[in-house]
Amino acid sequence: MKTMKFAFAGVLACALFAGINTQSESHAAGGLKPAPATKGARKTFTIGMSQCNLGEPYRVQMNKDIEAAAAKHPELKIIYRDAQNRSETQQSQMREFVQQRVNLILVSPKEARPLTRPIAEAMDAGIPVIVLDRKITGDKYTCFIGGDNVKIGREAGKYMAQLLGGKGNIIEIQGLGTSSPAKERHDGFMDGIKGSQIKILESVDCQWMEPNAQREMASALSRFPKIDAVYGQNDPSAHGAYQAAKQEGKGREKQIKFIGIDSLPNEGIRYVKDGVLNATFQYPTGGADAIDNALKILNGQKVPKNIILGTRRFTKDNVAKGGTPL
Amino acid sequence: MAGEATEHARQNRWEQLSQYRGLLAFVAVFILGCLYTPHAVDTGRSIFLSWRTQLDILYEYCEYGLLATGMTLVILAAGIDLSVGSVLGCSATLFAVLTVGYGWHIPEAIAVTLLFGMGVGALNGFLIARFRMQPFVVTLATMTAARGLAKLISGGIKVAPAAKEWYKLQDNTPPFFSWMSQSLPHLGMKPAALIFLVSILIMAVLVARSTFGRNLYAIGGNEEAAVLSGIAVHRAKIIAYSLCAGFAALAGIINACRQDIGDPEAGVGFELDAIAAVVIGGTSLAGGRGGMLFTLVGVLIIAYINKILSLNAVAIAPRMIIQAAIILVAVLIQRQKRS
Repeated sequence: MKTMKFAFAGVLACALFAGINTQSESHAAGGLKPAPATKGARKTFTIGMSQCNLGEPYRVQMNKDIEAAAAKHPELKIIYRDAQNRSETQQSQMREFVQQRVNLILVSPKEARPLTRPIAEAMDAGIPVIVLDRKITGDKYTCFIGGDNVKIGREAGKYMAQLLGGKGNIIEIQGLGTSSPAKERHDGFMDGIKGSQIKILESVDCQWMEPNAQREMASALSRFPKIDAVYGQNDPSAHGAYQAAKQEGKGREKQIKFIGIDSLPNEGIRYVKDGVLNATFQYPTGGADAIDNALKILNGQKVPKNIILGTRRFTKDNVAKGGTPL
Repeated sequence: MAGEATEHARQNRWEQLSQYRGLLAFVAVFILGCLYTPHAVDTGRSIFLSWRTQLDILYEYCEYGLLATGMTLVILAAGIDLSVGSVLGCSATLFAVLTVGYGWHIPEAIAVTLLFGMGVGALNGFLIARFRMQPFVVTLATMTAARGLAKLISGGIKVAPAAKEWYKLQDNTPPFFSWMSQSLPHLGMKPAALIFLVSILIMAVLVARSTFGRNLYAIGGNEEAAVLSGIAVHRAKIIAYSLCAGFAALAGIINACRQDIGDPEAGVGFELDAIAAVVIGGTSLAGGRGGMLFTLVGVLIIAYINKILSLNAVAIAPRMIIQAAIILVAVLIQRQKRS
């Protein structure tokens, strides 16, 4: 029995050692007041960053963008947390940041309502909070930075009309129909193609997933003899549609135009370079903007309450030059 | 804790001592927490050792704790309840629909939600006791059904103010929702955590001192013998399952308040955490041995380990492996005791 007890403690200790050694020296910053320091050029700041999950490539990219932007500012130390897609976990991460007295919190919320209160509590504790990508309810945050899905959808629609010369039959592959980005990307797109003779043959819900998109597109191909273009609400679904057309074996993937959204380096951008997609529209992660504004806040400057980011269009001609800002 | 020992188990000194294994493990975890803790950026104080962290741990684990409380009753009688996670989600949704959607008063909504939970539990208990169906199968079925029911009553959405046009509340959730997760004056503890502590202590007394409690041990130890000695086995089982699902409903109400939303997907997988807490505490899955205070220790062990891992920002991969190792070691110790 005694040996068992020691074994228990031993396993715990080893496991914790192993786990703890994996993280950086991010807690090492010291000797600071949480309040914004005035003109403290040589001071260090600790920033807590809570990401709602690291399963989606977009969110991994956001963290990368933050890391890249922060690397230019040696005075910043960032503690990264992954909430593993659980609001409960993200709530406790907010509380832990407050306890650690970080100088600023970045948060990319999983869900608006559950996080509203913990973020308000951090604000009450005097810690500024920058909310990324998804808004919370109310206005108790320092700054929100996010993309504009309606605008992105509209730009995609306008480009689609241009690409097809104002008329044609298209398939829309939606994200998760009940989610707000899917609705906004749809509404924007409809606005963008207004006045043209583009007809949406079918609008299918693929829940943002490439395999679903591929399956739905395969059935659409068998039903409709003439499809001129596909509007995928994210790049993987446009790519899935392309694959379905290619696998059909009639060479229709060469005639059909494909447009996607998000423009992540390893997805949309690569697909455009490879000639799979005709265009992709960027949904910005806001990572670099988050660091810019964090620095302003930490140095006592004012920042706008809501920062809506623009988008970029990537096509084969401009992808090497970093796309066209819209 | 010695008072909760079963009459079947021979009470030699060694075994009395081994009753405190759980506590020792908890102390070991606590010491590790003290050793590995981040420090506040400004004051440099240990974050793990702060009173606030201790209260946060209780608060963050109160839902699991309530599920484990009910689960202990069922497991003591050699049963299992897989439906608690779904009942939690369904109750959270129901409570939110009643208050936010239909604008009911809080006490009525709580009463109906708890009754709903106990009804599901009574159905579990009835099917298991009356028709001698396997608890695993029966509660697997109710687990699926309750999740479906949650989606049905919410209409497939998360229940929040203004989520639908006909909802009575369009601006905000009732003040009760935020009350649940705000520290009580003087105590510093949040109502959600307090509800868990009070519940488990009441159940500890019930299990250790009442006829109902003794009957659970007797059924779990040897059901045939319990029947022969005239114990109302059916009734005890139905009550145990009702209480178990009742606590799940209570956890569901707390979940809706904490998340400020009635989420039909709430509590997915929670049943496994609850079972793990019971087992780590030292209650035998075979029934008849263990106790409510063991479960309290089990909940605290899991809660503290997770908090320590979270405070130190341990990545998810090593974290999952550590959790698995802890469960295995705890069960290993249990087996050791048997031989």
